[in-house]
Amino acid sequence: MASTPSKRALPSKESSLFKELLTFYETRQLKKGQKTADQILKKFPEHGETLCMKGLILTHMGKRDEGRELVKKGVRLDLTSHIVWHVFGLIQKGEKNYEEALKSYTQALRFDKENMNILRDAAHLQTQLRLYDGLVETRHLLLKLRPNLRQNWIGLAIAYHLNGNLTEVKRVLEQYERTLKNVPDYDVEQSELMLYHVRVLEDLGELSEALSLLDVNAKSRVIVDRVAIMETRARILSKQGPTEETEQSWRALIQHNPDCPDYYKGLLASKGIDLDNITDSNRAEALQILRDLSTQLPRADTPRRLALDVSIGDEFQELVRDYLLRGLKKGIPSLFVDVKTLYKDTPKWMTIEELVEGFRETQENGGSLDDPSIPSAHSSPPSTSHEAPTTYLWTLYFLAQHHSSRDNHFRALTLITTALTHTPTLPELLTFKGRILKRLGDPVEASVAVNEARLLDGQDRFLNTKAAKYKLRAGLIEDASDILGLFTKKDAPSPGADLEDMQSLLYLMEEGNAYRRKGRLHQALKKYHVVRKVFEEFEDDQYDFHGYSLRKSTLNIYLNLIAWEDNLWSHPAYVASAIAASQIYVKVHDDPSVSKDALSSGTSTEAEKKAKKKAKKAAQKIQEELKKAASTSTNEDKGLEVTPPKDEDPDGFKLLTDPEPLERAWKLLSPLPALVRNNIDVWIAVYDVAVRRGKYLQAVRALSNAKALDPEHAELHLRYLHFRKTYSALPSPLSGPVGAIVSNTLSSLLPSELSSDLYNSQYLQRHPADARAVFSAARGLHLLDHPKEEVEDMIFGVLNREAHLQLKVALEVLAFLQGIRSARAEEFRLACDQKFLLSSVFKNPAELALLQREGSPKEEQQEVIG
Amino acid sequence: MSPTSKSRTGRISFASLTPNNLGTVRKLNSVLFPIKYSEKLYSEILLPEVEDFCKLVYFNDVPVGTICCRLETKEGVTQLYLLTMGVLAPYRSLGIGSESLRLVLDAAVAHTKPAISRIYLHVQVSNDGAKRFYERNGFKEVELDEAYYKKIKPSGAWVLEKIVHPSA
Repeated sequence: MASTPSKRALPSKESSLFKELLTFYETRQLKKGQKTADQILKKFPEHGETLCMKGLILTHMGKRDEGRELVKKGVRLDLTSHIVWHVFGLIQKGEKNYEEALKSYTQALRFDKENMNILRDAAHLQTQLRLYDGLVETRHLLLKLRPNLRQNWIGLAIAYHLNGNLTEVKRVLEQYERTLKNVPDYDVEQSELMLYHVRVLEDLGELSEALSLLDVNAKSRVIVDRVAIMETRARILSKQGPTEETEQSWRALIQHNPDCPDYYKGLLASKGIDLDNITDSNRAEALQILRDLSTQLPRADTPRRLALDVSIGDEFQELVRDYLLRGLKKGIPSLFVDVKTLYKDTPKWMTIEELVEGFRETQENGGSLDDPSIPSAHSSPPSTSHEAPTTYLWTLYFLAQHHSSRDNHFRALTLITTALTHTPTLPELLTFKGRILKRLGDPVEASVAVNEARLLDGQDRFLNTKAAKYKLRAGLIEDASDILGLFTKKDAPSPGADLEDMQSLLYLMEEGNAYRRKGRLHQALKKYHVVRKVFEEFEDDQYDFHGYSLRKSTLNIYLNLIAWEDNLWSHPAYVASAIAASQIYVKVHDDPSVSKDALSSGTSTEAEKKAKKKAKKAAQKIQEELKKAASTSTNEDKGLEVTPPKDEDPDGFKLLTDPEPLERAWKLLSPLPALVRNNIDVWIAVYDVAVRRGKYLQAVRALSNAKALDPEHAELHLRYLHFRKTYSALPSPLSGPVGAIVSNTLSSLLPSELSSDLYNSQYLQRHPADARAVFSAARGLHLLDHPKEEVEDMIFGVLNREAHLQLKVALEVLAFLQGIRSARAEEFRLACDQKFLLSSVFKNPAELALLQREGSPKEEQQEVIG
Repeated sequence: MSPTSKSRTGRISFASLTPNNLGTVRKLNSVLFPIKYSEKLYSEILLPEVEDFCKLVYFNDVPVGTICCRLETKEGVTQLYLLTMGVLAPYRSLGIGSESLRLVLDAAVAHTKPAISRIYLHVQVSNDGAKRFYERNGFKEVELDEAYYKKIKPSGAWVLEKIVHPSA
């Protein structure tokens, strides 16, 4: 360093104190460090680096605010010190503010270009922020400074890989491997590195090089992962084209694990057969291969199952008969789910139905399933039956699932009732009974059935979760919490809090949806926002792997992780939560009184108040214990990560009354358009928010994207009308190129010569037999300010037999009628209550409350589950 | 699930009772017997000392029956009282009952500290089939209690017993 600025230079006594201070920090002797810093500051209160170190130490000790202030002050006092910027960067990184942290690190590097620690941290930040050009530079510098470290070579290779430059990756790896001497045997890290090298060559299309590298390293035992060797080998050979060797490589894998469908796919591909697109010309050959393998591997299910995909006609009938019988006799609960994918082919499900109904009759008559020639004994059936009673039981269970999947729920219910009379102790029967009732529109009775299943086996967490989920679907939120509480941590403030910590997306979504159905929108929003928080945590979690994976050289997996993180926000749970929350925000924006209603509906029941009190107490206790632990613990280091502050808004009141609901909605939706292009619900949600935010270009583009997916979509139709109405009502039309694009796109969606009324009625004419379309057209009338009577008349058309009204749509229609305060809402509700036999969702609130009370069985109080 | 054996068409196995599978026992009792049992019974059959004598019975991994006993000590003599035993109707005549009884008898023989003198039970006088079943398995009628059942008819019950350790 050329010259030290005068205000940084310390006299020799303080200078050595400062060195001590650094050592104390490195070894986390925080109290001593603090004392030393104070000693320096007594004489030199303006010494920036010391102030920063003290701030850093205080932050570690849990005094974040005070520490942060000192650090900022220190930075201001000594802007050209790498130490102050490094410290500031550390603090920002702890706050997960990666952008700002990287800026500070960059400053630090200006004043200390070759500091390894800072460079390494900067590389991690650049990876987290996906700044790959900068990353390559940083990794280059690190390698230049320390070429003898393996992870510096790997780091550079990965940086090139992420930046899309595989040729450079190959060069780096080759150079590194030339420096290697005496690799010990069974070095897993070297093994992973070589597998990565092979993958790079494979991705570059240098297949024979990849193969020979694999073979050499497999033979010399450098690569130790046998399965990876076999799989990679088979994959590369397949890319080279079908040969005898390719075929053998897949056969070897099948021998190794006969229940992996991909291996069979590979084998068939090596014979020029695409298992997913079997044609009449290769069907016989494919089937023969699978039949031969079934004989060779008598215990494997996969070749038998794949043969069902391939075969048709009589051959299918013969094969599926054996397959089903085997499953029913073994009592495989998932048999129906396993074969359900065959149902997209009508002759196949018809064959299955005929066969299994036949099995049922044979058994009811006491006949034998294996030998149809044995006559059915018409004397007392059960004692002379040739089959185990469990086979009959699983046959009934299969048939119930079959008929329910064919929308024949009444038949399914009869079958499952017969099965339950036969054997009332099989939980699967009760959970499926619950499912049938749910499909029939009776969530309350459904939850009773599933809860009965849970009581049969209190140890089964699957049943516990299902029972709680069904309670939530039935609107019994407190019951659900009690049930979940049987499996959550006993010292958590509430079952929900523990499940939140466990990042249970299922729980968060189901409870959010339950609140939404009850109109308690604030609590619903709260849960949806927690879902977002979980995904933010997923995003942060990758940070540690930028260093860890390089050290452990688990590179293939690491690259998969990065790719997964890049698509993180397209996860179905996040998409669903973002759409649901945005719909609530839009509703609140359109009608602010909604939030008032929700808040007043949120007056808690007695049970809830009690639960809340209990939760509060438990939370307090935990806080106290934490405090106690903190004061007694010898470890004064709290780390740099921000501990989550106390939740000031546990019920979401602040979320619902946010002055800018649309901005909040947009924040949730914003990651989606780039990642989830094939989901029309996303585009519609984006439109709904964009048009209200005055982002007309974004809105109309969302509509175009939606149109590309499904031009006749019922919700989309309504948005066309909405957009034209909104856009033409603007006081001054958009000008310039944006205005032109918007108008042009609009007229490509909804031709300008067509009046909105005409367009709406044409749409209805195109889809007279689709309840959703009828509902959409009726809402169109409402949007176009037609009288309410006209809207109602059209809407009641959904009740016509030919409109095939589904329960879900009927509920939406009812909600719409209630929303426009239609005088005929009640009439519609009663009509649906009659139309959907066995449903409970169309009962009036008083009737429903009664049903729910009956649905909370008293016997639970007696039950002891420990 | 412990001891397993093969029946004609399936596998019989047994599991000890726990608070978690008690729901299955309740369900079975509710369809097998005309009596609603007291909560006292359900806490008794969970006691550790009767673990070998109280079992859920599975057929091909499906719970189809129960067998439950109580240990009684009178004047220094310990005996085993068979509280309930039952198998769901579709699963009868498959040897499940005999297998369950044998399990309990073997456990009774093996039981020391204290040794068990005899095992006994009540059978409602209308239930000839049950009586024959126990007689086939080595039980003998020793008594007729005319007014055993208070809420169901007929009220009479045979007492059947099988000696385990005569000297005990």
